[in-house]
Amino acid sequence: MAVDQGAGSKLPGLLVSLGKNESTKTLLKVIILAIIAAAAVASRLFSVIRFESIIHEFDPWFNFRATKYLVANGFYQFWDWFDDRTWHPLGRVTGGTLYPGLMVTSGVIYHLLRFLTVPVDIRNICVLLAPAFSGLTAYAAYLLTNEMTTSSSAGLLAAAFMGITPGYISRSVAGSYDNEAIAIFLLVFTFYLWIKALKLGSMLWGALCALFYGYMVASWGGYAFITCLVPLHAFVLICMGRFSMRLYVAYTTWYALGTLASMQIPFVGFLPVRTSEHMPALGIFGFLQLVAFLEYVRSAVPSRQFQTFLYVGLGGIFGVGLLGLVGLTAGGYIAPWSGRFYSLWDTGYAKIHIPIIASVSEHQPTAWPAFFFDLNLLIWLFPAGVYMCFQRLEDEHVFIIVYALFGSYFAGVMVRLMLTLTPVVCVAAAIAASQLLDTYLQYKSPEVVESKEEESTDGTAKKASKQGSLRSASQPVVGIYNVLSKAFIAGAMTLFLLIFVQHCTWVTSNAYSSPSVVLASRMPDGSQHIIDDYREAYQWLRQNTKEDAKIMSWWDYGYQIGGMADRPTLVDNNTWNNTHIATVGKAMSSREEVAYPIMRQHEVDYVLVVFGGLLGYSGDDINKFLWMVRIAEGIWPDEVKERDFFTPRGEYKVDADASETMKNSLMYKMSYHNYATLFPPGQAQDRVRGARLPDQSPVLNSLEEAYTSENWIIRIYKVKDLDNVGRDHAAAASFERGHKKKKAIKKRGPRVLRAE
Amino acid sequence: MANLRSLLSFLLLALVGAVQAISANGGNRLLVILEDIADKDGYTKFLGDLEGRGFDIVYETPKSESLSLFHLGERSYDHVLLFPTKAKGLGPNLTPSVILQFINADGNILLALSGSTPVPSSLVSALLELDIHLPADRQGLVVDHFNYDTTSASEKHDVLLLPTPGPLRPDYKDFFALSGSDESGVIAFPNGLGQTLGQGALLSPILRAPSTSYSYNPKDESEAIEDLFATGSQLSLVSALQARNSARVTVVGSADMLSDKWFDASVKKVGEKSSVKTLNREFAKAVAGWTFGEIGVLRVNWIEHHLNEAGQSNASNPKIYRIKNDVTYSISLSEYSWDKYIPFTVPENDELQLEFSMLSPFHRLKLNPIISSEDSTTYSVSFKLPDQHGIFNFLVNYKRPFFNNVFEKNTVSVRHFAHDEWPRSFVISGAWPWIAGIAATVTGWLGFCALWLYSAPPATGESKKKQ
Repeated sequence: MAVDQGAGSKLPGLLVSLGKNESTKTLLKVIILAIIAAAAVASRLFSVIRFESIIHEFDPWFNFRATKYLVANGFYQFWDWFDDRTWHPLGRVTGGTLYPGLMVTSGVIYHLLRFLTVPVDIRNICVLLAPAFSGLTAYAAYLLTNEMTTSSSAGLLAAAFMGITPGYISRSVAGSYDNEAIAIFLLVFTFYLWIKALKLGSMLWGALCALFYGYMVASWGGYAFITCLVPLHAFVLICMGRFSMRLYVAYTTWYALGTLASMQIPFVGFLPVRTSEHMPALGIFGFLQLVAFLEYVRSAVPSRQFQTFLYVGLGGIFGVGLLGLVGLTAGGYIAPWSGRFYSLWDTGYAKIHIPIIASVSEHQPTAWPAFFFDLNLLIWLFPAGVYMCFQRLEDEHVFIIVYALFGSYFAGVMVRLMLTLTPVVCVAAAIAASQLLDTYLQYKSPEVVESKEEESTDGTAKKASKQGSLRSASQPVVGIYNVLSKAFIAGAMTLFLLIFVQHCTWVTSNAYSSPSVVLASRMPDGSQHIIDDYREAYQWLRQNTKEDAKIMSWWDYGYQIGGMADRPTLVDNNTWNNTHIATVGKAMSSREEVAYPIMRQHEVDYVLVVFGGLLGYSGDDINKFLWMVRIAEGIWPDEVKERDFFTPRGEYKVDADASETMKNSLMYKMSYHNYATLFPPGQAQDRVRGARLPDQSPVLNSLEEAYTSENWIIRIYKVKDLDNVGRDHAAAASFERGHKKKKAIKKRGPRVLRAE
Repeated sequence: MANLRSLLSFLLLALVGAVQAISANGGNRLLVILEDIADKDGYTKFLGDLEGRGFDIVYETPKSESLSLFHLGERSYDHVLLFPTKAKGLGPNLTPSVILQFINADGNILLALSGSTPVPSSLVSALLELDIHLPADRQGLVVDHFNYDTTSASEKHDVLLLPTPGPLRPDYKDFFALSGSDESGVIAFPNGLGQTLGQGALLSPILRAPSTSYSYNPKDESEAIEDLFATGSQLSLVSALQARNSARVTVVGSADMLSDKWFDASVKKVGEKSSVKTLNREFAKAVAGWTFGEIGVLRVNWIEHHLNEAGQSNASNPKIYRIKNDVTYSISLSEYSWDKYIPFTVPENDELQLEFSMLSPFHRLKLNPIISSEDSTTYSVSFKLPDQHGIFNFLVNYKRPFFNNVFEKNTVSVRHFAHDEWPRSFVISGAWPWIAGIAATVTGWLGFCALWLYSAPPATGESKKKQ
C-alpha cells in the first residue's frame, strides 16, 4: 500500500517529462487515479483485517439498522417509519427525522447488486461504503483542483492527498457507516460543480450543482456549510466588483433548484425559508437580483442620476430587508440561530447553556497538535497553496480563499469540523506542491531569452488581465538553473511525501481503525487480546430478555442496544429530546427512592451501565457521570445539584471520601455493586480513577444484578417489580437478607392508627 | 374474525372453568394446621362446610416432619388454614420467609388467632411484614363492656356481639352481608385478639371492633392499664390482605368464633330480654370463601380493540394505530361466585375505567356494559386517539378491596400521519389561490416563450456577421 502511494505521488512529477502526447497523458491519468482510488480504499481496510467486517462506534449502528429496515420494507415504509423501539415511550418519527441519503445509497447499491445476481449481505455494503466513496472523493478532489490550476499534476496530487489524509480517513474507515462517509464526496463534488457553473455561467452546470446539493442535503446536516459558503463566495465576488452574468446565472440556478431540492427532505422541510442559518443564501439571492437590476439601470440612465438612484435605492432596500428579517425573527416566523450555531462563535457557550452538546467529545475545541496529526505535511503546504491562489485570483481562487478561511476557523472550534477543512487543505496543498515540483522537476534549464520574452509578454499581458490579479501578486518569471538545487529540492519533497504516506498509514492503523465496539489490548507476550464485553452483553440482552424489554442506559449506548441487542431504549444518540435525556440523567444521579418511580413510569425493565474500574477502561459511565448530572440539573435545578457530587474540597471522588449524594446515586451504586467482593479485604481498587474503595459495597434495593460481562465493562440490572405485599423495597430487601423488621418505633405524641 | 376468536377463547375458558370447579384462582388442596389433630373435632361444622364445598383437606401439626408448603419449588397446597398453636415457634417449615414465599406463589392463608394463646413469633414477624400489627407480648384480649354476651361472659365481657359488617365504602361490593339473616342477627366474637392495620392499600378490615371496645393483655397483673394497644375502631377483629398477585391472607382474631360451640349458639345482648342465634356459620363461610377464592374473583375473558373507521381494515388487536384514529376497546369480565362464573356487574356508584396512557393518561373513559351473557359481561368504549404519537397502553386498572386486581395493559404504537395520508392540496379550499397562482405562472411562462420565439427578429446581414 505504502509503495503504491509513493508511486502515486511521485508519478505526476515524472509525467511532465514523459507524457508528451495527449492520449498517453490521459491513459496515465486514468491509471494513476485508479491506483489512488485503490490506495484510498486499501488504507481504510485495517479494521476489517484486524477485527472483522463490523459496524463501528455509535451512530453507524443506527444507520445500519435503518438501512436494514429500508431494505426489508421498501422505500415508502421507510419514509413513513415510526420507530417504536427508541425513545420509549415517545417513539421517533424516524423517517422524517433522519437524512436518508446514506441509507438510500446503500439500498440502491444493494438492489443493483441483487439485480446483477450478486448475492451480498447488506452489512458488507454498509461496512465498505465509506472506503468506496473515498475513492470517488479522491476523484472529486482531482476535478476541483483541476479547475484551479492548469498544472495537471496538482489535481493528481490533490487526489492522492484526499485519498489518504487522516483527517478524512478518521470518518471513513471500513465500518464507519456514517453520513460523512458519502457527504464528503458530495461536498467536494458540489463545490466542483459550483466552480464549473460559475466559470462557464452555465445553467446546466448550475442545475447539476443543485442536484448534488440536494443529494448532500439528503445525506448530512453539514449541508449548511455549502448553504453558507456558496453565498459567501458570491458576496465576496460582488464586493470585489466581479459581478458578472456568469455569477448571476450560476447562483440563481443553484439557489432556486437547490432550495427546492432540499425542501423535499422531510427532515429539512421548510427550514430553508424559516431558519437563520439559511438566510444568507436567500439574502444573497435577493442581493444578486438587485445588483443585476442596478447593472441594467446603469446601462440605461446617465451616471449622475445613477449615483443618486444607487444610494437611495440600495440603502432603502437594505434597510427594509434587514428590518423585515428582524421583524420576522422576532415574530417567530424565522427561527433564531440555534445553540449549536452559537457554540461555533463562543466555545464556552455550549458548556453553560446546552450541556448535551458540550458533552460530546467531538464538539470540543480542537487541540493544536490535532492539525498536524490529521494533516501532517499538508498543514504547512496549505498556506502556501492559499498564497498561490492570491497570486492568480480568478473567481475560483477566491472560492478557495474563502473556503480556507472559514474552514480553518470552524476546524479550530470543533474537532469534528476538521473534516470539512480537509478537502480545501488537500486542494491548496496540492497546488503548492505541484508548483514546487513543476518548477524543480524541469529537466531542461529555462533559457534566458525565453524568460526575458516571457517577462515582456507578461508585461503586455498584465494590461489585459489586470482585473484578474493583484498587482503585487503578479509573478516574475524565475527559473532554476542549478541541477544540484533541483535534485536537492525534488529529493527533499519526495522524502516529505514519503514521510507523509508513512504518517498517514501509521495514524490510520493506530488511531482510526478501532471499531470501539471491540477493544483490543496486548498481552504481556505481545499477542493481541480482544475484549468483547459490549457484544457479549448485548447478546445476553438479545437472548435473555423479553423482546419488548425496555433498557435504560446513558444515551451513548442507545444506538448500539437498538442495533445489536434489538431492544427498545429510552434515549439514544439522536439527542433530539433534551428533557427525556435529562430524565434518564436524573434517574441515574438520584437516590433509589427517587429513581424508582421514574423508571417505573417509563416501564424500564433493565438498566445498563458501563463500568471500566476493573479493566482501567476510561470511557465509562462514572467518568461521564458529571454530564448526566449537569444535563439533569438543567431541567431540575432544585433536585439535582452538581455541587453535591463533589467532596467539600471540591474533588470528584469515588472512594470512601465521596460525597453522600454521590454514594447514594443510582449510578454509583450500580457501578460498584458487589465490586469489593472481587478483591481481598481492603484492597478493592478502581483502576480508572486510581481510588481505593470501601470494603462495603453499596446496597441496592430496587434493582437486582442481572448480568455482568467478563471484564465487568457492562453491568445490567433488572428493575424489581413492586413488592407483592406492599412493603417498600428497602424493607423487602432487608427482610430477604434475613433482618427482622423492628416493631413500630414508639414515637412521642399520640399514635395515629388507621380507623376508617 | 374478532367474534369468532372471542367465542373460541370464551369456550376454552368455560371449559377450564368447568374443570376447576372449586375455586377460581386456586385449586382445592387445603392444609389445616392444628396444635393437635384431635383438635379438629371442635371445628367439625366449619371444616365440614369446607369439605362439603369440595375442599380436599389435609391435617398437620406444626411439629410434623412431613409438613412442607413446597415440594420441589412448587406449592404443595393451594390454601392454608392455621389454627392457634401453643408453641412459641412454628419450626423450620413455617418461618416468616416460607409464609411470604407461599403468598408470593399465589397461596391463600386463613389465620385464626385466639385471645388465650400467645401467637407464635414467626407468625408475628410474618404479619408485621404485611403491616398487620399484634399487641406486644404476642397476646391480647378484646373486651367491650357494652356489647358483650350476657349469657356466657357476664363477668369477663370478652364475648363481643357485633352486627353484620356493611361495605367499607358505599361504592364497594359487600361480600360479608350475610344472606338469609334477619336484621337482628349478630356475630359472636369470643375470646379474640385484635389487630391494628397499617396504611397500605392492600389491607382492609372485614370486621371492626365497636367503638367501646379495647384490647388488653390478660397476663398483665397490674390494676390499671398504662399503655393501651388500641381501642375502638382502631382494632380490626377480622382483617384481610390481598397481595398484588391476588393471593389472599385473612386474619381472624378469634378461632373460637369458628368453632362448633359458637356456630349456632344463642346469645343475649346487654339490656335485651330475648336471646338470638349467632350468624357465625354464615360469616365463617363468607370469610373462608373469600380467602380461598370462592367469591370476589374477577376473570378477564378477553380483551379486544380495533379500528373503528369506515373503509379500513378493522382487524382485531392491531399492533399499531395512527393518531386521531377512531378505536373501540372491549373487555369481557366474569366474577366467580361459589361454584360458577357469573357476569360481573360494577357496583353502583363505581365505574370501570379505561385509561389510554403514555407516561400519563391521555384519556380516562368509563367502560359501559354492552353485552351480558350468562357468565360474562362485555364492557366497551369507543373513542378517538389523541393527537400524539408514541407507545401507548390501553390500561384497565380496577383495584377494589375484596375484588382481585384487574390490571390489564395492552401496548400499542400510535404512529404519525404517513406522507400519503394527508388530504391532497386540491381538496383544501384554502390552497386554491396558490394553485391558481402556479397555473397562472406556468401559462404566463409558456405564453412568454411562445411570444419570444414568435417575435424573433428577422435574420439580417448584421446578425449573421455577429455569428
